[in-house]
Amino acid sequence: MSDRPLFLRRSPGLIPGLLSVLALLALWAVAAELAENARRMPSPLAVALRVQALAVSGELWFHAGMTLSRVAAAFGIAMVLGGVLGLWMGRSRAADHWLNPGLVILLNIPALVVIVLCYIWIGLNETAAILAVALNKIPLVTVMLREGARALRPDLDEMARAFRMSPLARLRHVILPQLAPHLAAAARAGISLIWKIVLVVEFLGRSNGVGFKIHLLFSSFDVAGVLAWALAFVAVMLAIDLSILRPWEAGANRWRHDEA
Amino acid sequence: MRLELRAKSFGNQPVLGPLTLSVARGQRVALLGPSGIGKSTLLRILAGLDRSFDGRLTAPERLALVFQEPTLLPWRQAEANITLTTGATPARARALMAEVGLAGHEAKFPRQLSLGQQRRLSLARAFATDPGILLMDEPFASLDADTGARMLDLTEALLTRSGAGLVLVTHDPAEAARLGATALRLAGSPAVLG
Repeated sequence: MSDRPLFLRRSPGLIPGLLSVLALLALWAVAAELAENARRMPSPLAVALRVQALAVSGELWFHAGMTLSRVAAAFGIAMVLGGVLGLWMGRSRAADHWLNPGLVILLNIPALVVIVLCYIWIGLNETAAILAVALNKIPLVTVMLREGARALRPDLDEMARAFRMSPLARLRHVILPQLAPHLAAAARAGISLIWKIVLVVEFLGRSNGVGFKIHLLFSSFDVAGVLAWALAFVAVMLAIDLSILRPWEAGANRWRHDEA
Repeated sequence: MRLELRAKSFGNQPVLGPLTLSVARGQRVALLGPSGIGKSTLLRILAGLDRSFDGRLTAPERLALVFQEPTLLPWRQAEANITLTTGATPARARALMAEVGLAGHEAKFPRQLSLGQQRRLSLARAFATDPGILLMDEPFASLDADTGARMLDLTEALLTRSGAGLVLVTHDPAEAARLGATALRLAGSPAVLG
């Protein structure tokens, strides 16, 4: 074990992960070769060249930046509102009884309906776009956090009350650490769902962003362009997951491990 | 601290009958009685954790509670378990930890401590609030003889030095005697002080 390089010991899934991505690329290359229609099924190389061209022209950064800012805004709103609602419903039976029907209804309204209604009622603007995405995500965060809040340890709650900890200190040191795994799960499930919905919102009613570009490319059946935008943005979201969400999750779970 | 209790019941089931209990700073009282008689319920009322009772409670500003289990925050280090919960300064937390024999363990998480150490940390946490009255709920139960005796000695020393009053819930008269506490027996149904 100890003679293996550090990065391999830290992430034992690295080699299989890379190999599986390479296998997918090879499969794609073979499929493109067999399709014999570069327009409908472009090769990985053609798509990579498109990504490069987009990056060099600066177009990629502008539209990806617009999409990312919408993702961030909707994500922030959904996590805070969904978190507060979930905590409240998990702690108070009355709140749960009153709010649960609305939650179930919201969970089952198709994302597209929420988006269309927001655009009609609020207008084709940024507020409607971000609200539509957040509304689609809030019920999911609420459900996940409600489960976490129901599992909060009553003995620690009593301890905090007995020692008269302030509400803020209780939230920060007693409640949030117990909710951390649920928050992390909601965040990671949320971010991938949100960016998919943001693309639909942009497709339907915005004049910039990755979804808008895909709308344009769809009208010209430019598959290489669609794939280039989609894959470039997947890379951005993966980078966020690896560089922000995972390290945060690992830090929040440090107390579970024995080594000091 | 003074409790004038008229009655306490869970649903239709009366648990505690009329009783009066007053404890002053420096005074030590032990509540004895068989399991299920309502000792812990009475202690929870004194601690302000259970407010649905018929009666009147006057409690001092600073109370501390030692639970049956250590009840520590597993995600905070030992020293932070004292400072964050009680608002004590880090220096005071370290001094108390040294007093209960936990010097050098400040940065450990609770699960890295033995059960005996966790209980001593919980004792140090209680004294960090500088309590007027210390409430203890069977804190020596389920400890082996040596660890139990050590905890009793520590409790006695800290109580004497701080001058805090004590309400100890226990089923073991020897613990009460060791701490020099006046033994009060809960008996009957609903239970009253005999």
